[in-house]
Amino acid sequence: MGAYIQFRNITKKFGGTTALNQVSFDIQEGEIHCLCGENGAGKSTLINLCGGIFQPTEGQIFIGGKPVVIKTVEQSEKLGISIVHQEIPLCLNMTIAENIFLNRKEAVKGLFLDKKYMNEEAAKLLKRFQLNLKPTQLVEELSIAEQSIIQIAKAVYYKPKILILDEPTAALTDDQRDVMYAVVRELVKTQKTTVLYVSHRLEECMELGDRATILRDGCFITTRDIKDLTMDDIVTLMVGRKIDRSKKRESYVRDEVLMEVKHFTKKRQFEDVSFQLKKGEILGLAGFVGAGRTEVLTAIFGANRPDSGELYLEGKKVNVKSPADAIRHRISMIPENRRDDGLIASMSVQQNAQMVVLDKIKNGIFLNKKKSDALMTKMTSDYLIKAGNPSNPIFTLSGGNQQKVVIARWIANHPSILLCDEPTRGIDVGAKDEIYGILRKIASKGIGIVIVSSELPELISLCDRILVMHEGKITGEVGGDEATEAGIMRYAAALKDDYQYADE
Amino acid sequence: MKEKLKSFRELGVICVLIALIILLTIARPVFISPTNFINVVRQTVQIGIMAVGMTFLIISGEMDLSVGSIFGTTGMLAATLYKSNVNPTVAFLVAILVGCAIGLLNGILVTKTKIPAFIATLGTMKIFRSVAYAISGGQSISVFPESVMNSWVFKMGGSLGPIPIQIFIMAVIFVVAGIVLAKTETGYNMYATGGNPKAANLVGINTDRVKIMGFIISGAVSALAAMISIAYLGSVPTTAGEGREMDVIAAVILGGASLSGGRGTMLGTFIGAMIISVVKNGMVLLSVPVFWQDGFIGVVLILAVLLDTVMHRKDSRG
Repeated sequence: MGAYIQFRNITKKFGGTTALNQVSFDIQEGEIHCLCGENGAGKSTLINLCGGIFQPTEGQIFIGGKPVVIKTVEQSEKLGISIVHQEIPLCLNMTIAENIFLNRKEAVKGLFLDKKYMNEEAAKLLKRFQLNLKPTQLVEELSIAEQSIIQIAKAVYYKPKILILDEPTAALTDDQRDVMYAVVRELVKTQKTTVLYVSHRLEECMELGDRATILRDGCFITTRDIKDLTMDDIVTLMVGRKIDRSKKRESYVRDEVLMEVKHFTKKRQFEDVSFQLKKGEILGLAGFVGAGRTEVLTAIFGANRPDSGELYLEGKKVNVKSPADAIRHRISMIPENRRDDGLIASMSVQQNAQMVVLDKIKNGIFLNKKKSDALMTKMTSDYLIKAGNPSNPIFTLSGGNQQKVVIARWIANHPSILLCDEPTRGIDVGAKDEIYGILRKIASKGIGIVIVSSELPELISLCDRILVMHEGKITGEVGGDEATEAGIMRYAAALKDDYQYADE
Repeated sequence: MKEKLKSFRELGVICVLIALIILLTIARPVFISPTNFINVVRQTVQIGIMAVGMTFLIISGEMDLSVGSIFGTTGMLAATLYKSNVNPTVAFLVAILVGCAIGLLNGILVTKTKIPAFIATLGTMKIFRSVAYAISGGQSISVFPESVMNSWVFKMGGSLGPIPIQIFIMAVIFVVAGIVLAKTETGYNMYATGGNPKAANLVGINTDRVKIMGFIISGAVSALAAMISIAYLGSVPTTAGEGREMDVIAAVILGGASLSGGRGTMLGTFIGAMIISVVKNGMVLLSVPVFWQDGFIGVVLILAVLLDTVMHRKDSRG
């Protein structure tokens, strides 16, 4: 026994943002080491450093006492590292056996692939994972759960020295999870495999892990033995940022109910989601990535049809079948991924800003340049957009200004409801404050706002009320004034005993 | 800056066109004579008109391989109707409507059944090529009744002074299409749909409708090009429009449009179409064997796109 993997002063910067900051900790040989932290704490970045997808900006990784440089996925594999990523990188058009032996020398005999060998080995592996599947079945025929097990099986098959599992159980049933636990434990026992385990399900860390390292905002917090920790301890360690409550938040909530979501349900996404939004209210939706928050938001906006459920606007039932319908009902949505879903790269700042308000710049059937320029001038000053020349391509702007363009676009359409999905992701602090100011201002005018955010301090400082989701269901509600990060995290992790926690 | 960049894009192809014209004039001074040059522009008409529809489509992120077959089918249909003494205006309208209908079919296949445009329109290209042969019995159609020959429909093949009327028709279509593309919500929605369909949909643009409209316009202008061709030639050859789709797509791409959508202009497309007929005409004047024509157009196409890519790379480097 000894430190097998050592991270020493690892820093990773992406442009101006620091994803990992001077992180140092050790992982023992043959232990199951859990990595815990909120969304954006730096877990994925650390994994990607091990996988050769990113290189650290500073610092050194040691494996087996030797300093290593991991520049490619091949180098990572040579070091005996096998990573099961959250998303499933399997070739759907190929069989189970073919996927397991993808780009592997073991199955190559001379010029040809030894299909018989591949299928026999795959069959043994499937048996080990208690999967009732044939090696010759196409992966596209499998359920998501089966696919993720195949991915784990593939990683396990090559007897890695280091196995990294990133949210491996997201799609699994309890039985499937137990089988996976057994295989992982066996691997540790027989091969002395070192396991780095990432899951937002803390009960899994408690059950499977030997030790846990907690990251917060890219910084190392602590490494402790699991047996010395409770789930509450982990939650407290994961959060613990101080929130500035000195600036008293004003509430603009009025009595009239603007929108009511009733029993929204969609298979595999969300279940029986119901809530009300009042005029002038800022409502937060908290939860881990994959809890179904974005899906609920896009369902309200008509971009993701729910299987069942009803939507009422100012007391009237409405049927929103498409984003165009939603816009007609004066609902606006700022999408999560501004690059892919929000902006059009081939168009200018001005064209992007005025996408939903063409009516305001038309003269008869023609778009009027003068009106358009006048509106743009107003938008730039109202929303503090630093655009230089608005006829430049949109992606010449900084992230913060791009986001202001998206926000300006939707507010110019005079919505009564504004849905925001991660409105400040990847934006510097100054621009964030400006965006908070804009959102508060429109709330004061009676517009109802729903915000999905992974940044709890953001939700706590902005929202009148926060709903917390866990695996597609609303598991809790906290008022903006008594909200604490720990309180929200407990709901998000669906911890059973929901007694009141004091602010840390 | 964007505006400048855009016009610079077209400037590139304009330079190519001017360079070709100068080189040909030096080699064969007769090239620039009014008679020959008017002839070159006239030869641009059919590809040019069809390329207008294709430009709308390519900017919206789709393409249409069936335009040559629409040309053939509607041409044969109109010619048959002319021969059987149907009122020429009615015959003309029927042909245009059939063009629209085939476009609608393409549009529905692509947007509703999600068959990629390349495959869907490859299918309809084959189908309507056969339909064209079936209508004509595999023969060319010519010699129309006097009443038809004297109608306005055939005036499209005539001239106003020294200038063929079809050149005016093409000019009007390009100007109208250019205004629609640059100045109206319809054009805006096409750029948005091709630039990022997901984002366009999320701002409430009905991207399916935008695309279907593009296919219908493409069908309509292809039929119109066929009507002009009949009026000019006084006949419809057996293989009318065969292989035309590739010249049309080449013209649009030469004009600076991007096959991935969101980029392109009507002026660019017009220049692109002009380059193709200048090359064809020049090669005849230079007595280059006719089988080299397509090869040379291929070379120009690749060079033009390469030039564009190189210039574009410089842009993004800032």
